[in-house]
Amino acid sequence: MKTLSLQNLSKTYYDLYEGSHHTALHDISLDIPAGEFVSVVGPSGCGKSTILNMVAGFIPHSGGEILVGGQPVKGPGRDRGVVFQSFALFPWKTVLDNVGFGPKMRGVPKAERDEIAREYLAMAGLSHAADRYPNELSGGMQQRVGVVRALANKPDVLLMDEPFASVDAQTRMTLQDELSRIWEERRPTVLFITHDVPEAVFLANRVVVLSKGHVLADVPVPIERPRVWDKLVEDDAFKELSNKVLALVRSA
Amino acid sequence: MVSRRILGTMTFIAPLALLVVIWGIVVPVFQVNPQIFPSVPAVVQAGVNSILNGTLLMHVGASMGRVVLGTVLAVLVAVPLGILMGISKGVSDFLTPLLRFFSVLAGIAWIPIATLWFGYGFGAIVFVIFNGVFFIVVYNTLLGVSTIPMSLRNAAASLGAGRWALFTEVLLPGALPNIATGVRTGLGFAWRGLIAAEMIATNVGLGYMLFVARDFYQTEVIVFGMIVIGTLWLLIDRLLLAPFERATIERWGLVR
Repeated sequence: MKTLSLQNLSKTYYDLYEGSHHTALHDISLDIPAGEFVSVVGPSGCGKSTILNMVAGFIPHSGGEILVGGQPVKGPGRDRGVVFQSFALFPWKTVLDNVGFGPKMRGVPKAERDEIAREYLAMAGLSHAADRYPNELSGGMQQRVGVVRALANKPDVLLMDEPFASVDAQTRMTLQDELSRIWEERRPTVLFITHDVPEAVFLANRVVVLSKGHVLADVPVPIERPRVWDKLVEDDAFKELSNKVLALVRSA
Repeated sequence: MVSRRILGTMTFIAPLALLVVIWGIVVPVFQVNPQIFPSVPAVVQAGVNSILNGTLLMHVGASMGRVVLGTVLAVLVAVPLGILMGISKGVSDFLTPLLRFFSVLAGIAWIPIATLWFGYGFGAIVFVIFNGVFFIVVYNTLLGVSTIPMSLRNAAASLGAGRWALFTEVLLPGALPNIATGVRTGLGFAWRGLIAAEMIATNVGLGYMLFVARDFYQTEVIVFGMIVIGTLWLLIDRLLLAPFERATIERWGLVR
């Protein structure tokens, strides 16, 4: 796992209707040390997904630098694993082959990558679904596959773009519990984008609040781990911190 | 499930069977001149003869060989081209007007020049089939690529897929349902074009079989040939193309 560093990152769009440049993000600086989990929250349109897409290399940035382990980012790469809101599983591949896709791209032989995929599926309690196709699984199961597919490729940084926004509330809490457990086991460096404040606080070491294209606040989360909803849902420190972040987001 | 399929097949066959029954009654009742339209027994006899003396197999074999080769060649060229157009706006903008123009000509409009290039027979007809299938498969592949969610391409790239892997692992399988639709539609046109081309540019094949029977007023051979052409297409379409199309769309479709 490596550090992720954003230095004076900016993004400007050319607005076709107005015929002028429009600044979506300006001067975003953010350091995520190796093995730290950082959530980015903010209202719709604040540019949080734009940050993730630039870090992933899906869209170019206009200014500043993105460094992974000190190396500048140029386009998408296997050093940055991505978990998508829409899951983005390959519908024509079994669950096993979806998870084994990253290793396959590295040239890992079939038997070996199946073994890797099975190990990661077991971690998410998905061993029984290995031979299923994505459309045969519930949304929650699909996103578990999405998470382990990214992890099985052993990325330096894990990027998660509102990964639990399209599953039902009950499943979402289970997935958050599981992600928290997996993070504690493996300690990946995570950049987690969400608009759900309790989710952001529950998972992260730090919560960054974004507003109109700049960083409004950077709030540490000193709540001890392991974290599970059964304990935290009535925890005063958690509730207080969540309310504090929520107030910041609403002021944004 | 099984009984529903049988019921479906029966529902499909019933109107055709009724038509045969009416034909079987009308021809003897009105004593239709066999040079105008043959009786049912005459057509059956013509069919049995052509099967026994091997001419049917020869004609069907020749026609099918042309269709298979023309289709395979067309798909091999059309799919990569369609994918290239799907990922590159420049290529797409350049080729679209050309394809628009030539797709209008696809089919028998090519026969005169095709016979000059390839001579009468196999080459010219394969070329006509190629033209019938090619354009529609290009368009459908292009359409298929454009329906692949950007997130799937991004996911593959972030998992380490290069250009070639993106093609084989994402774009090709992602466009497959549309490619299947394209092949099915294109073959439907090509099949019609085949019969027309065989009447003009060859001395063997189902189209030729019909055309030559006309010279001898063998209406029973003509009608038998028409039945074979229709039945063969329905079998190819229902047993091969439609199930292939359905299978790809079922697996892919639910996710979109």
